[in-house]
Amino acid sequence: MLTEFFLNHALSIILIVPLIAALIIALLPDKESICRIVALVFSLDILLDVLVIIVSKFDPHLTALQYVESYRWFGDTIRIKLGTDGLSISMVLLMAILLPVVIIASEPIAKDKPKFYYSMLMLLAASVLGVFVAQDLFLFFLLWELELVPMYFLIAVWGGANRNYASIKFLIYTFIAGAFMFAGVLFLFFNSGANTFDMEVLASSTKNMSSGIQLLCFLLFFICFIIKLPSFPFHTWLPDAHVEAPTPVSMLLAGILLKMGGYGIYRICAGFFPEVLAKVGIFIALLAAVNIIGAAIACLVQDDMKRVIAYSSVSHMGFVLLGVASLTSAGFSGGIFQMFSHGLISAALFMLVGTLYERTHTRLISDYGGMTKYMPKCFYLFILASMANLALPALSGFVGESLIFYGAFSSEFFNNFPTRFHFNFGQICVLFSSLGVVLTAGYMLWLLQRVFMGKENTKWSGLSDLRMSEVVVLGTLLALVVLYGVYPVSLSNLYEPSSTALLNFVSSNLSN
Amino acid sequence: MADLILKTSWLIAALPLLSALLIMFFFHYSRKLSAFLSIGAIGYGLAHSLLVLTVSYLNPERTLELNVPWITAGTFKLFVGYLVDPLCSMMLVVVCAVSFFVQIYTHGYMKEDPNYSKFYSYLSLFTFSMLGLVFSTNLFQSYIFWELVGVCSYLLIGFWWYKQPAANACTKAFLVNRIGDAGLLIGLLMLFFSTQSFWQDKVTLSFGELKNALDWAISSNALPIIGVISVTTIALFVLMGPMAKSAQFPLHVWLPDAMEGPTPISALIHAATMVAAGVYLIARAYPLYLASPMAMHTVAWIGGITAIFSASIALSQYDIKRTLAYSTCSQLGYMVMALGLGAYSAGLFHLMTHAFFKAMLFLCSGSVIVGCHHEQDMRHMGGLKKFMPITSRTCLIGVLAISGFPLLSGFWSKDMILASAWEHSKILFVVGSLTAMLTAFYMFRLYFMTFSGEYKGHAHPHESSPSITTPLVCLAIPSIFIGLIGSPLMPGGDKFSSFIHYGEHHMHHEWGVSAFVHEFLTPQGFIPFLAFVFGTFFAWLIYRKGVSVNEYIKKNLSFIYKLSFNKWYIDEVYFWILNNMIMPVYKTLWAACDKLLIDGFFVNGSALVSSIIGNRLRYIETGRAQLYALVIFGSVLVSVLYFVFKMR
Repeated sequence: MLTEFFLNHALSIILIVPLIAALIIALLPDKESICRIVALVFSLDILLDVLVIIVSKFDPHLTALQYVESYRWFGDTIRIKLGTDGLSISMVLLMAILLPVVIIASEPIAKDKPKFYYSMLMLLAASVLGVFVAQDLFLFFLLWELELVPMYFLIAVWGGANRNYASIKFLIYTFIAGAFMFAGVLFLFFNSGANTFDMEVLASSTKNMSSGIQLLCFLLFFICFIIKLPSFPFHTWLPDAHVEAPTPVSMLLAGILLKMGGYGIYRICAGFFPEVLAKVGIFIALLAAVNIIGAAIACLVQDDMKRVIAYSSVSHMGFVLLGVASLTSAGFSGGIFQMFSHGLISAALFMLVGTLYERTHTRLISDYGGMTKYMPKCFYLFILASMANLALPALSGFVGESLIFYGAFSSEFFNNFPTRFHFNFGQICVLFSSLGVVLTAGYMLWLLQRVFMGKENTKWSGLSDLRMSEVVVLGTLLALVVLYGVYPVSLSNLYEPSSTALLNFVSSNLSN
Repeated sequence: MADLILKTSWLIAALPLLSALLIMFFFHYSRKLSAFLSIGAIGYGLAHSLLVLTVSYLNPERTLELNVPWITAGTFKLFVGYLVDPLCSMMLVVVCAVSFFVQIYTHGYMKEDPNYSKFYSYLSLFTFSMLGLVFSTNLFQSYIFWELVGVCSYLLIGFWWYKQPAANACTKAFLVNRIGDAGLLIGLLMLFFSTQSFWQDKVTLSFGELKNALDWAISSNALPIIGVISVTTIALFVLMGPMAKSAQFPLHVWLPDAMEGPTPISALIHAATMVAAGVYLIARAYPLYLASPMAMHTVAWIGGITAIFSASIALSQYDIKRTLAYSTCSQLGYMVMALGLGAYSAGLFHLMTHAFFKAMLFLCSGSVIVGCHHEQDMRHMGGLKKFMPITSRTCLIGVLAISGFPLLSGFWSKDMILASAWEHSKILFVVGSLTAMLTAFYMFRLYFMTFSGEYKGHAHPHESSPSITTPLVCLAIPSIFIGLIGSPLMPGGDKFSSFIHYGEHHMHHEWGVSAFVHEFLTPQGFIPFLAFVFGTFFAWLIYRKGVSVNEYIKKNLSFIYKLSFNKWYIDEVYFWILNNMIMPVYKTLWAACDKLLIDGFFVNGSALVSSIIGNRLRYIETGRAQLYALVIFGSVLVSVLYFVFKMR
């Protein structure tokens, strides 16, 4: 009876649980440990719910939406419609994994105003989870915008010295993104003639629209998503936000918020406007190559560790763009894998940088040196995370990148853009991007070398190594990185049929 | 029984992995247990691999291949598995044997190091990765393990992270290898892309089907021999991987620096096994090279150039390990050259003999370094013969073996390579023979400077402990005798080539002492011997008799001397390019793009504009940024509504 109720309302439950948690935490006494434990219990409950959703009734081979719930909201036009498929459930899973980890990592940050902090975290969780399961475009947009509020406060209240600049910059960028999306939503609604915001219906009704309007809608959505992703030339908010955000917020920001952009590109840009995507795919591939290489170059010249990791996120999310642009099953699948794996890896890296910052209060690489002497555990975990970041085989970063490289290299759509050099234009982008493999290794290892190796800086001689809670956080994240790297099928089975179905939908639209 | 031995052969690789994990997570507190686990795992591996070799040798046709899918995405499938064939079984024995002796040696060499247990876990991890590479069934799996051995090498070179040179060296090693890997990856992508319809229901890029795939691609015009996407370019891209890993010119720069790592590592990774992986990969991907004569020539020439180039540097180095490192480069050049000349068996034969004697030479150098209290400069050694009798004798065996003293292992393998060079390219034969002379010279120079004459250091040298000398003696035995396998002295002729060969094998009909003497007295047999004699003689003249040729060269031919001593300034050129060209360009690009254009002009510029507007509107107090956002939001909304209603 109860299980049936749960299974019938599973998605609304995982959205309501964090909201209830936020409310309860707001009523608790203002003590960090109590708030943290309550938050942790709720987040573990969310993780459990998500796992139950996956193992009980979720069938990855069923490519239609599952666990669908639909309620009237503003008449029949705007409904609260929730549903999930392989693509969205893997993002939900990533969020559910990251949330408890982030809460454990929050201990040193949340000493100041703990109630507020954990409530905001839970509100953030609710809105992000909502974005991934919303199947009504209006609801999707609303939750997308709702996520701004807690994120703004998390940076502006608990951030570093320059937090006002960073949080406002974050707000403006994302607000503009939201404005573009809002325009796109309305434009789509009025032009589709479907008189509904249901995403399934809209996806199939876009082909009635003229190609010019489709292109305009696509661009409005696409700009919104690449601001979030982020991508050149809208990426400069990310390093600033990361640098000023406290560690756990950085982990969430890189780990899951950026994936909203990627998810949106899959769900809306590819799902709604396949024809436009095929037309502009080549430009997206070029943009992706610029991101991959440009951000890697930017990483090489930074002296701030957080900036290095932040730019590295830009570089790695470029792979997602390349995967989508390729319009191949390998590219699509690789893009999703890359989002998931980058979520884990970047969270681990930000955590590691955070542990250093917490002890030394400096993020400048030049202030460090020979840290291994004082923090050996940190060093070994940092090596593992760096290796994952530079896509070492048998760690999860490699799977996504190799699938994307292959997908983009073998894409048939790029064949429409031949060049004089025997390769098509997409392949040239791939060859160019493969330089990123070397650059990534360059900045990660150089960072490792300057921070951890060589002669030690005696200024830090009193530092303690990682605490148990930090080891738990990093151990969880990196264990998953190893698991999905060694046995990628365990993840790809979850989303593979959905991503192939999405691709088939795209191709069938093109052949008509 | 034989089936069982082959089927369970994956245990050879699995046990070191298990021991590495056990040590890392559970037993790092106990030195004894760590050493026991690690040595035990590889000891089992050695025993098992000898059985595998026996089974494989008795019936070379009997191969085993097992694959499991690793990831699938639509039609794109990748596999991992294990393949046991003659080449694999030979490599298994080489890797396991060297690793086994090096791990015993490690106990003596590292016993005072606080991270003793960790060293063993890294060693086990490396052994696993290397064995995984040897077992690979397809190019893609090779790539996975190829990178894993690279990262183990990175960890081990940087084992003494607190030494700045070691920190620099490990980063450099990984980066240079990464350049090669990027090339390899591009090569694999291009290869798979051009032959993808061939692999529909087969194991992607498997070694067994590589030849069929290329034949299919060439005959169906999917892939030309020469062109932008062609067999040749694919082969050359793939070659970048081996060039980096096997330290071939111009990607050799990392290997000498890698000597900053502990000596057991130099012996295991940077002399015997990992650096030979490049040669192994070329051998595995041989159909790719055979299909393109141009690629074969390139391989041969890169090998030849590396051989003589590194030998010329080794002539003037004073650091005992760096001399050996350049010698390794040079010998790897021989192997690569042999493969490029089509002498498949000869190249791999040299790989095997070289693994044993070079590992032993490195271990000897380690023994010397420990004996002289961490002195590596040969100018501060000398006369160690009487302090370190076992080390000096085994070292002499190694020196004789590498220089090509008749009947020792290096003599046979080098002879085989030079004989095929004589057949295919006289210029490369000359290059090879010159290298042989230089090799004899610098190896005897090393021996004389270290072991004979008077002791010039300030420490109190002593012979090393048995855990160090025993592996030396054990490795000396194969260094002497293993070459006989490939010699005409064996009953029935060259056993190595009849076991490991590519395509048709031409049996030597003649064998026995008279056949050997006959072969020896041909020019291709005798010239390498003369090279050995001259090289040794010059070394003896200069370093034993004190003929002051060195002073003469330093004074009057200082240009040549400096070129050799400073390694032809290759490092300087690379770093100059990096520091003066690449990094400044990057800095400017980033500054111009992110700081100036986007942040400076667009973001802050628009903020400025909005603040001016805000000022004019006297809304300063409300916070101009939020207002700005609101204005944008509102104006987009209005314009959208305008469009919408206009269209209706």
